[in-house]
Amino acid sequence: MSDVKRVNPRRPYRMSPAGLRRIVLGEIASADPHIGVTAHEAQQAKPLRTREPAKRWHMAVAHSDRGRLDDHAREAIAAASILATADTGIVAVILGELHENAGELGADKIVVFPDLDASRFQPQREEAVVHALLDDFKPAHVFMPDNLRGDGDLGRRLIAKDEAVAATHVIELDARHVSVGWSGGAAIAKAPLPRFVLLAPGAVDAKLPFVGAGELLPAPKLPSVVEAYRDLGLEPMETADIALEEADFIVSAGNGVENVETLGTLARTLGAAVGASRVAVDEGKFSRDKQIGASGKSVNATTYFAIGISGAVQHLQGIKGCRHVIAINRDGGAPIVKRADLTVIGDAEELMQALITRVSQAREQGEVSRSKDE
Amino acid sequence: MSNAFTVAVLISAGRHPVSGAPRACRGDAVAMALGRRMAGDGVRVVHAGAAEEPSLQDYLALGAGTIEVLPLGNSGDAVAALASHLKSVDVILTGSNAESGAGSGLLPYALARALARPVVANVLEARVQKTAVEGWDVEIRQFLPKGQRRRIGCALPLVIAVHPLAPVQLKYAYARRVSGRIERFPETPAETCVVQPGWTVETASRRPIRLKARETKSGHARMQAAVVAEAKGGVVAFEGSTVDKAQVMLNYLREHRLVDF
Ligand SMILES: Cc1cc2nc3c(=O)[nH]c(=O)nc-3n(C[C@H](O)[C@H](O)[C@H](O)COP(=O)(O)OP(=O)(O)OC[C@H]3O[C@@H](n4cnc5c(N)ncnc54)[C@H](O)[C@@H]3O)c2cc1C
Repeated sequence: MSDVKRVNPRRPYRMSPAGLRRIVLGEIASADPHIGVTAHEAQQAKPLRTREPAKRWHMAVAHSDRGRLDDHAREAIAAASILATADTGIVAVILGELHENAGELGADKIVVFPDLDASRFQPQREEAVVHALLDDFKPAHVFMPDNLRGDGDLGRRLIAKDEAVAATHVIELDARHVSVGWSGGAAIAKAPLPRFVLLAPGAVDAKLPFVGAGELLPAPKLPSVVEAYRDLGLEPMETADIALEEADFIVSAGNGVENVETLGTLARTLGAAVGASRVAVDEGKFSRDKQIGASGKSVNATTYFAIGISGAVQHLQGIKGCRHVIAINRDGGAPIVKRADLTVIGDAEELMQALITRVSQAREQGEVSRSKDE
Repeated sequence: MSNAFTVAVLISAGRHPVSGAPRACRGDAVAMALGRRMAGDGVRVVHAGAAEEPSLQDYLALGAGTIEVLPLGNSGDAVAALASHLKSVDVILTGSNAESGAGSGLLPYALARALARPVVANVLEARVQKTAVEGWDVEIRQFLPKGQRRRIGCALPLVIAVHPLAPVQLKYAYARRVSGRIERFPETPAETCVVQPGWTVETASRRPIRLKARETKSGHARMQAAVVAEAKGGVVAFEGSTVDKAQVMLNYLREHRLVDF
């Protein structure tokens, strides 16, 4: 008997709200309630985490990104609520605008400071604002994403100010302990859960079976602080110039990509950097510095599009750090399918063209609707 | 000396993450190179710890010149010892994370707090200029993710934590290793100002366990979830037109907030 896994094309599927069929590998019936139901409907069905009045608090502090919270910020709020007892309330302090409901992410009380956006550098004002809230709530534990977008910096300022017991780059935690990488990740070291916990990305599963009360508190007035720092602004940049190692969004081409132009257009449309598999580089379609994999570069993009890439182990080694992998491939049995979070089966050229068209439309519509709400 | 401002770099004992062999901590070596660019040979290089530390030899080879070694007292608190030693220095440079121990990246912040100075982290470049009013001012280029860079101005004195990607060249020369000196300073009595959690290092290496919310589900639902989780892999879209599939990809990007339109 052959060991090759066969995929039955007539397996059960769910209809998505957009009227599309979605087939899930390994799905027997509707095991995952999220499939086929919009996220909003699924979340309304979730119960409140607790109905007891809060006797103590956990606090999560994070910057938003264009009005939303990224996975890392969600993980900080999730950690605060997973580790909370029934009489512990969760305060989420969001720096920057917020256009989503943090209650669904587990927060019971939410304080938003739209003027403290991550794109500006005003650490002393941020420190003062969060410090005032620390005094108000006296949280037992404070959870923050340990990132370079300002949260890791703010967290360390707060820790230094309070001379608090703290753990940074936390890779593992439970109700009593935190663990961090020791000596550059050679070992793991454990300590009792300190007051300040700065989380490495991926330490927490942000999916919660419950919601928080989600009460939006009026933002306290910003204190008048004279910053020692002068923010001279962000440098203008070109997405195509970003080094692959730093890129957050990569569109990568393999042997299945015939037309390099289309790939370039797709990358520009999505604002992504361009990468390639070894075969595509060997063929001369891309320069050697674009090669991703064991003998090329290791990348840590949040989003990685693998187009016409089979997903050989040497290639997968280079994308270990990527969070969301989307594959386009002709072959449903290619190894990349096992790694990818979403695989679309079909011809690379046709699908790239369709995606370019769809994304350009969406961008235009998005711009129209955004300028309307302003 | 043409420089009327003073620069010091803090260096720590580096260890190779796999072999554990002593070496210059890369981040600190980068900070040292940036310090040399700012102040030339006038830069002071300071290590808080043992003078016998083998990795100091590496720093000499990388051009440290003279390394000032401050012994740590029983408290083992580097911050207090460094703060009293570096009170009069205008610019203190550090790496971002030490290679030995927790490497928490807290030291520059604690030191800045102890000296009541501003601190800027993830610095790629720093240029000191004279201001109109007899003072010194530094312009900093700061690393941000996704290829972004920020410029920040600040008056001296301050603490700068250097990002490991700062564009400097590290040149190793055996001759400098031989000619370099290690200068021992007496211990200064100091009270602790950084509270460290009590770390216990696990001997066995293992993968960290992700924190997950406990779900109270029926046995049937749990069983099913286990079966689904076993079949590793994400959603696969086989059917529909090309346009539908493009929509599936866009939906995925939107659902996970990977795009802002
Ligand atoms: C020592 C060593 C080191 C290596 N290092 C690396 C490395 O660093 N990086 C690296 O990438 N590789 C590396 N490799 C090579 C690796 O093993 C694979 O050979 C390579 O990654 C395959 O590239 P590919 O997926 O682009 O091509 P292929 O394996 O040819 O796969 C092409 C894929 O595209 C699909 N496809 C074809 N046409 C179409 C179409 N029209 N539409 C849609 N899909 C289509 C196919 O179904 C197939 O899955 C290394 C190998 C060795 C031995």
